[in-house]
Amino acid sequence: MKSIDNRSEDSSVTVLAIDTSTAAFTAAIVRDGIRVDSIISFTERNHSVRVLSEIKELLSRNGLKGKDLDAVAVGQGPGSYTGVRIAVTAAKTLAWAWNKPLIGVSSLKALALGAWNSLREANENMVPDRDTWIVPLMDARRGQVYTARYSADAAGKWETVDGDGIRLIADWASRIEGEASTDSQVAAIWFVGETAPHQAAIEQAEQSGTRLRVLACDMNATAVGQLAEHRFRQGERDDVHGFVPNYTQLAEAEAKLLAASRGE
Amino acid sequence: MSETFQAVSASSEGDYLLLAIETSCDETSVAVVRNGREVLSNIISSQIETHKQFGGVVPEIASRKHVESITLILEEALREAKVELEDIDAVAVTQGPGLIGALLVGVIAAKSLALALDVPLIGTHHIAGHIYANHLIGDIVYPSIALVVSGGHTEIVLLEEEGKFRIIGRTRDDAVGEAYDKVARALQFPYPGGPCVDRLAQEAAEEIVLPRSWLEQDSYDFSFSGLKSAVLSEINRSRMKGESPDFSALARGFQQSVIDVVTGKAIRAAKEFGAKQMLLCGGVAANRGLRERLSSLCEEAGVPLLIPPNKLCTDNAAMIAAAADLKWRRGQYSSLDLKAEPILSLEEWSV
Repeated sequence: MKSIDNRSEDSSVTVLAIDTSTAAFTAAIVRDGIRVDSIISFTERNHSVRVLSEIKELLSRNGLKGKDLDAVAVGQGPGSYTGVRIAVTAAKTLAWAWNKPLIGVSSLKALALGAWNSLREANENMVPDRDTWIVPLMDARRGQVYTARYSADAAGKWETVDGDGIRLIADWASRIEGEASTDSQVAAIWFVGETAPHQAAIEQAEQSGTRLRVLACDMNATAVGQLAEHRFRQGERDDVHGFVPNYTQLAEAEAKLLAASRGE
Repeated sequence: MSETFQAVSASSEGDYLLLAIETSCDETSVAVVRNGREVLSNIISSQIETHKQFGGVVPEIASRKHVESITLILEEALREAKVELEDIDAVAVTQGPGLIGALLVGVIAAKSLALALDVPLIGTHHIAGHIYANHLIGDIVYPSIALVVSGGHTEIVLLEEEGKFRIIGRTRDDAVGEAYDKVARALQFPYPGGPCVDRLAQEAAEEIVLPRSWLEQDSYDFSFSGLKSAVLSEINRSRMKGESPDFSALARGFQQSVIDVVTGKAIRAAKEFGAKQMLLCGGVAANRGLRERLSSLCEEAGVPLLIPPNKLCTDNAAMIAAAADLKWRRGQYSSLDLKAEPILSLEEWSV
């Protein structure tokens, strides 16, 4: 067995981060929480072609080689099945070949954190001592979204309220609106990410006047790197061999088989 | 042909180690091969048990399984070959044809390795792999005729010289292996039923004679859908008469028809093109009836026959290395932008 190269966790940490769960292919080099360099491209359905040459270019223009990295970080999904498999396969293989730790993070969490970072930069909604809910959305067709819910505040709090899942946007938006209207701690609610296809459902859910705000934004691997670095400094590592995408649901054939075995 | 001068790349001399990856369908396979012919390891992780419950290969599940096992199989292949990753000189991978989602996992893993190790990448044609599996067990003499029979392919390929592929016949509908699996289902065998049909046919005392689909007189193409329908209507006919169909006689009738046509056309091609050798390859090359008939026909015609052992006939990565060696020796590498192709021309892949 190879022994994983493990440096002191107090020293500087450099992470290569990639994500292909959405229409964007994105990669970043993140050092100590700061973006060193990043790329994003929208080669719809064709992430598989350019992904490795883009990573090669990103590393070489920053004078980095595999041995200079402390970890390989990847968005584990959910998202497009084929898309997620591309980054996960690349990250697993690179981490294995370079003998570096692999750190997976939720693609939804990265989408949410990226949005929260830009809201903070824009100084939006910084109500002291009260929470902002960040609700990342990725379209999952037929009125469904891959989504989660996070609670953040200006002091740096970042908590998961609801984990990753596939949900009906209409039910989900009205549930969030309902809960916010009875929770005085919540100052603002932001639906972020692939919001355009679900604008109408979100507006529909604004029943009691609790404002549901929308920020359309793209996946950014910088947030993947930041979340991964946090895990890395906690001493967390993923098992390269056992690591798989989070699809959030069974393949259709498996679901049908399961239903049949239950006599449905 | 402008084959007069060979590119003298750094790679054309001395020992070299090729790591090959094959994920075009439901097998995750990695091999380490020295100098294109010496198999140091050839690990094959079959998903057959998983797909059995669905009655066939489910593409999405195949892709999921490949991701689960890819690095594990890579590690096992190195361990069994007793080599270090740093010793690898090039990475080969099945580029196509195959299931796109399944191919992608292998292609991405191969590109990642080529980047990490800074070695050449060689995108390889799956059928060239099946054909050149023969190069792992013997010398190929040109011109030769390759009979490719598998679950997805039925082709007669002429190799006038090394690495030059010309398809002279192909199936117009089902592949042989596909026809076997469909007939197996009609005969109530579980997936994959091809080998069961072969066994039943071997044991049969009687034969229900079924039609031979020769197509046009000079054609090397195949068609198996009519034969499959003939099996189904024979089953129906017996049932309508209140009899139970004689499955073993039907299996034999089906097998005899397939073998007559497939071997008959292959031998005719060998004669027409003056082949000095016949190469049998693909998963259906494991079929005993087919092996026996082709062996005796080749002997009669005085054409030497190569048939790889079963492990090299079904999908495996060592055969991909054997084909990639053609490109390695000529310094013909792929770029990191290699794209997995569900449909890929064999002839265009020629060296």
